Amino acid sequence: MSAITQTEEANLQLDTQGFAIVVDGLRKRYGSLVAVDGISFRVKEREIFGLLGPNGAGKTTTVEILEGLRQTDEGRVLVAGIDVRKVPDKVKGVIGVQLQSSAFFDGLSLLELLDLFAALYGRSVDAMALLEKVDLKEKARSNVNKLSGGQKQRFSIATALVNEPKILFLDEPTTGLDPQARRNLWELAQAIRTEGRTIVLTTHYMDEAETLCDRVAIMDHGKILAMEPPDLLIQRLLDKGFHSQRVERSANLEDVFLDMTGHGLREG
Amino acid sequence: MKRSPFLMLTWSSLKAYFRNRGAIFFSLLVPLMIMGIFGLINFGNGTPTVNIGIVDQANNQVSQRIVSSLQGIKAVKLHRGGLDSEKHELQQGNRDLVAILPPSVGQGSTAITAYYNQGNPQNSQVALAIMNQFVDRASFAFAGISPALTLDTKPVQSRNLTYVDFLVPGMIALSIMQTGLFGVVFTFVQWKQRGILRRLMATPMRVRDFFFSQLVTRLTTVALQIAVLLAVGLFLFHFHFAGNLLYLLIVGIIGGGIFLAMGLAISGASKSEETAAPIANLVSLPLMFLSGIFFSRSNMPEWLQTITQYSPLTYVSDALRSISIDGASLWAIRTDLLGIFIWLAIAVVIATRLFKWEVV
Repeated sequence: MSAITQTEEANLQLDTQGFAIVVDGLRKRYGSLVAVDGISFRVKEREIFGLLGPNGAGKTTTVEILEGLRQTDEGRVLVAGIDVRKVPDKVKGVIGVQLQSSAFFDGLSLLELLDLFAALYGRSVDAMALLEKVDLKEKARSNVNKLSGGQKQRFSIATALVNEPKILFLDEPTTGLDPQARRNLWELAQAIRTEGRTIVLTTHYMDEAETLCDRVAIMDHGKILAMEPPDLLIQRLLDKGFHSQRVERSANLEDVFLDMTGHGLREG
Repeated sequence: MKRSPFLMLTWSSLKAYFRNRGAIFFSLLVPLMIMGIFGLINFGNGTPTVNIGIVDQANNQVSQRIVSSLQGIKAVKLHRGGLDSEKHELQQGNRDLVAILPPSVGQGSTAITAYYNQGNPQNSQVALAIMNQFVDRASFAFAGISPALTLDTKPVQSRNLTYVDFLVPGMIALSIMQTGLFGVVFTFVQWKQRGILRRLMATPMRVRDFFFSQLVTRLTTVALQIAVLLAVGLFLFHFHFAGNLLYLLIVGIIGGGIFLAMGLAISGASKSEETAAPIANLVSLPLMFLSGIFFSRSNMPEWLQTITQYSPLTYVSDALRSISIDGASLWAIRTDLLGIFIWLAIAVVIATRLFKWEVV
């Protein structure tokens, strides 16, 4: 990766047209542990891209490198055409990040927090409009600790949108939410994609990935095992002669649950 | 409209800080409470009072005059009671001297018996001297002789430092340390644990802006504490402030920097509040008692004085004391300031080495 000639550089630039994220031969070690073992992938613009894998597979490290929060050992990473290795702060300016722990300063209202986050990007923002988008207008003057789990995640996404990012990173956004709130968050993610933004999603829920993602990469032991649209991956498995133990019916328990309790959000 | 990240961070954390009642309570009321307690106890202030018990067996004009004149002496706290009860109080150590005025008082030569407390010779000597002088004067008066020698007294206004004058600058130094250490340690460990610092790092925020905003927020608190402690000292405890307010503020703010950096170092080194709290106490408790905050270090054994003169809190409290009591200039306290700056440099170096943005 070290010696890239001028023409190669130009070719790569051409090569990366139309991609929100380009990762080539990314490697990251923590001491003797190889967390990410030379992976390469591309995320198309306006795509919802899922990064799946068991805990310790290397997804978090990969995402943190893309977000400019960690250094790479080897490899090339372009986010929105910007080299993360060279200018991590510039990357931070064009992406939005929703983290698993959605804690914020105590003592500030949602409006005040959005104003603060906007200022950190050197911008100002119509905080009320942003809250309306994530359906939190009535909570504008509340503190974050007065919000329900789903509301907290939606607010966390709102903070990630203050800079009108090209790429939005969602890290297990529906963990711990009830079925109604999960569906509500999926709709939000789809609405954000419709605005022309790219979404990189990590999740442990396969139904979530199947519903939302255009393509998923399945990672384990620091390597990418497969990278296809979910339907294609399922078809491949079936083609191999796989039969589910489960009797497939046209409804599942979640459908029963939602039929009985409704799709309406349950939050104060 | 673009807003400066630094100003917004500062404004936001000031707002958050002043909405947190618990934090205000600890930073403003606790030092006031400590000062109130120590100010009221008023250690080592002025003349000691002596407790004199009077058993008035005569209860006539003469004995009553003796009692009322004794009451007029400032250093005397007079108690009246029966013989048995007063003697009992003396045995209990509640009286320094018990004088018995027999029924024959005022009728010729009379012996006044005085029992005194051997357990507290200092006070009972004072009580005896007072009684002696009193008896002498009364004898002269009865005999109609004017004394050969008289004492002509003239009051002179002196600086008359009280314990409060010693205490107030010490309390200011103490609250600077507590705000720096505990205010930073707990919030930062919490922010780290809850991922708040990580969330901020995911924005293009400049680290410098963040730290300076926190510095400004804490130092604002320190300035406010100085103001409140000074005001209460001046109006409630008759604190004699002879110095320059600006100098006091300058020393307070630079001194505050030492403890803020120490707080950052501690919060950097600890993973949870459970480990941070003992470390912060381990640093603050010895400093609190060994830096001459409540009592002068001159009461310490010499070897301890030698060591404790280098404590950061000693430098800060000595500097504040020189400014407020002696009206010292910044040049006059240059040795203390040098010590403060050396500690500031040490603390900043340690803080930059130890501080981490996330729980690893």
